[in-house]
Amino acid sequence: MAGSSDPVVLEDYLLAEDAPLLEEMAEEDEEIDLYNDMTFGLDRDSMEEEVAKAPAPQDKDPEPSPMDKSIEEGTVMEEDESKAVEEPGPEAEEKPSILEEMDEAEEEHEGEPGTQLEDYGDMEEEGELGADEHEEVEVEVEEEEDEEEEEEDEQEEGEQQHHDDGDSKEQNDLGDPAVMRAVHGKPTLESLDSAVVDSSIGSSWEGYKADDLVLADVWSSSPGSIPSHRMLEQSPMMPRSLYSPRPFTPPRRASPLFTPSQSSEYTSPMPFRPMSPNIRTPTQPLGMRFGPMSPSLDPSLFFSPSAGLQGKFSVPSHMTQLHPQHQRILNQRQQRGQVQSISPKKPWSSKADPYAGLMTLKEKDWVIKVQMMQLQSENPHLDDYYYQAYYHQLERKQAEEELFGGRSKQEPPKLVTPYIQKMETHDSVVRIAGSLGQVAMSTCYSPRRAIDAVHHVLLEEAVGNQRLRALDRIEKMFLQLLDVEETQRKMTLAPEEQHPRFQEKKSHEVGRIFHTLKTGACGSEEEAEDEFLQVLCVRKGKKLTARLLPHLTREQAEGILVAITRHLPFLMRKDVLDESLPVLYGPLSEMVGKMTFSELIEVLQELTRPLPDSLELPLTMALKNQFGISLLYSLLSHGEKLLSSDVPLEPHSGDFEKWTDTVFLVARELSQVPKTSLVEPLVLPSNLLSLFCRYLDKQTIHRLEVKMECASLPSETAMLC
Amino acid sequence: MNYMPGTASLIQDIDKKHLVLLRDGRTLIGYLRSIDQFANLVLHQTVERIHVGKKYGDIPRGIFVVRGENVVLLGEIDLEKESDTPLQQVSIEEILEEQRVEQQAKHESEKLKVQALKERGLSIPRADTLDEY
Repeated sequence: MAGSSDPVVLEDYLLAEDAPLLEEMAEEDEEIDLYNDMTFGLDRDSMEEEVAKAPAPQDKDPEPSPMDKSIEEGTVMEEDESKAVEEPGPEAEEKPSILEEMDEAEEEHEGEPGTQLEDYGDMEEEGELGADEHEEVEVEVEEEEDEEEEEEDEQEEGEQQHHDDGDSKEQNDLGDPAVMRAVHGKPTLESLDSAVVDSSIGSSWEGYKADDLVLADVWSSSPGSIPSHRMLEQSPMMPRSLYSPRPFTPPRRASPLFTPSQSSEYTSPMPFRPMSPNIRTPTQPLGMRFGPMSPSLDPSLFFSPSAGLQGKFSVPSHMTQLHPQHQRILNQRQQRGQVQSISPKKPWSSKADPYAGLMTLKEKDWVIKVQMMQLQSENPHLDDYYYQAYYHQLERKQAEEELFGGRSKQEPPKLVTPYIQKMETHDSVVRIAGSLGQVAMSTCYSPRRAIDAVHHVLLEEAVGNQRLRALDRIEKMFLQLLDVEETQRKMTLAPEEQHPRFQEKKSHEVGRIFHTLKTGACGSEEEAEDEFLQVLCVRKGKKLTARLLPHLTREQAEGILVAITRHLPFLMRKDVLDESLPVLYGPLSEMVGKMTFSELIEVLQELTRPLPDSLELPLTMALKNQFGISLLYSLLSHGEKLLSSDVPLEPHSGDFEKWTDTVFLVARELSQVPKTSLVEPLVLPSNLLSLFCRYLDKQTIHRLEVKMECASLPSETAMLC
Repeated sequence: MNYMPGTASLIQDIDKKHLVLLRDGRTLIGYLRSIDQFANLVLHQTVERIHVGKKYGDIPRGIFVVRGENVVLLGEIDLEKESDTPLQQVSIEEILEEQRVEQQAKHESEKLKVQALKERGLSIPRADTLDEY
């Protein structure tokens, strides 16, 4: 029987894990069963007869496909024995009022042949049904209905069934004992024209709103409409343990029928086609269940907007014993009707999607888990640098804003990638001691290694391209540098005790990099062969050096500075295209700021040493280069700062002379260099003029001032000089 | 419920109407029902839309399971804006006919081009499929 088969059918589609939802379904099943009992109670007698006569058709009854078959049989029988039908007119079939409602909607919009994708639900309903099977049903159903048939129909039906002994009531009930009565309706456009997929697009269901309310009212207000005799009858045919003699109440749950996600409701693949809306007898026992009935029943029709349908749907005045699912639909429609009027623009709201939630939460979580697995890393800051850096910045900005704004902002959603301590590494090749070969132990993460290829060729032995070699070295050093910075970062995050350990590791690494950087630098005089200088010729090499400088020890950093200043003309010449020397300025100036006077003098000596192959002093050349002039200024500024401070300088012998010589030299060069070739430095120290003031006359200073374009300093110089 | 913030994930797109462009040039429109880690897609109530000029035609296809590697791009369709399109929908037969005509015209011009090149002693190898490796 249809009732007993409900849980079976539905649970076929439900996943075992959806326990709470299953519970819900079970609940509903109970109600359905109860409902069926009451609906079919009248038929008990006839059914018994039927059982005696033709058990076969009944067995097939609840299943969808035999269902169709029985419908077909019914229709076939119907056609053959139409004469034998006693009922007036072709109202041998009775359909649930749900179908009737859809008939109304459909009739309304027969003239819309265009399939619009808005009403996908419609299309789906249509598509899923074998067009053949239901066309016939509809033809039967949609023939004209002449009179209202209500409860009297059931009695008639009973009688009729008695009368129609010979044809085992197939003619009336489509071969389904669950069917009380099948009625004919108007032929739908779909049935007449197979090209039309859905003729009810955009049908208005506003008319139904009122009707729903009425239905609901009728339902709630007239429980007595349920024939009492039904309730009290116990059907021996349907052993229902939960049959309770209570009035059939609408489902307790007000849950939306179609929750967008995680709805366990699985609509059977046999929804009903929209029927002709021209129903004048909508009050058939509304809940005729044709096997596993889909609660959707083309819900798109329920929720389509647009005006038009004006109460063609006459209110059932008799008992409206609704199928629980139908009741639920009505309730929701009622609720949504109000919402609908507010937002009439939503033709296909997600609430109405019966196929929503096919992908359960568990499955979604699984996919996400798989995706997250791919994000595992030991060092997310390194592997996922851009994401991490971006979110750090975002959080910092938000913190700032919070500080200023004083209001608490919510955290930006941040994906916390799984940070694992150590990634499992799989060696795809296992060497067993004493064996002759390699045993392959491959997983999907580490597939079988075909060739044990080891890169034996050293780069130095390779065909020498100096630049390539330099690039290769830069890359290697950069990786080491990133390691160093990572260690630094970890150190700042780690507790105090662990600092020395990190520090040691870091300095070791830094030493290695420095060694790599400066290898061969001291050797040859040929600048082009100097590896360090080669590295510096590349922009990335400069960046590397700049980033490395803060980590170096003082001696190491000084060595770098001396080397740079010694070869400044060379570097400047090589940098004409790139113009990336300024990247070194920051760290170098910082370093300069920590130098002693003697060291400073040493460095300045490099700049003032005349070059063998050029008339110009490096100093002069520096003035024409942004980096050069900036470096020079920073050196001078630091010297001035040292001199003007009270810190004892501990100069070596001859330092001061060299210093003054340098200053004079600079002043001379500055005044001699034409203004046009003088480049603006990155940073103009403010104490330069005071430096000059110390040694030079006013006139020169004025000239220099003009040259150097320090507009902000006049007052200072006026003060000092 | 925001799965995986800061990432591109199809989880948020489930049960929404999408337009999917495949590598072979087909355009599918359907409700995205299920995905997996390879971005294999399950499309429901799928319609294959053929565009020729200002016209288009829809062929209902049912349920599609698309292997992820064949997807070029996909995007959600705004149901409210879906209908304001300057394109005109025509029947399937008509659009197929239009497509055939368009293909023929392309073929003809291609033939002429190849002929012209041949006369000048040049030969450009044709890409037989859309994918060129």
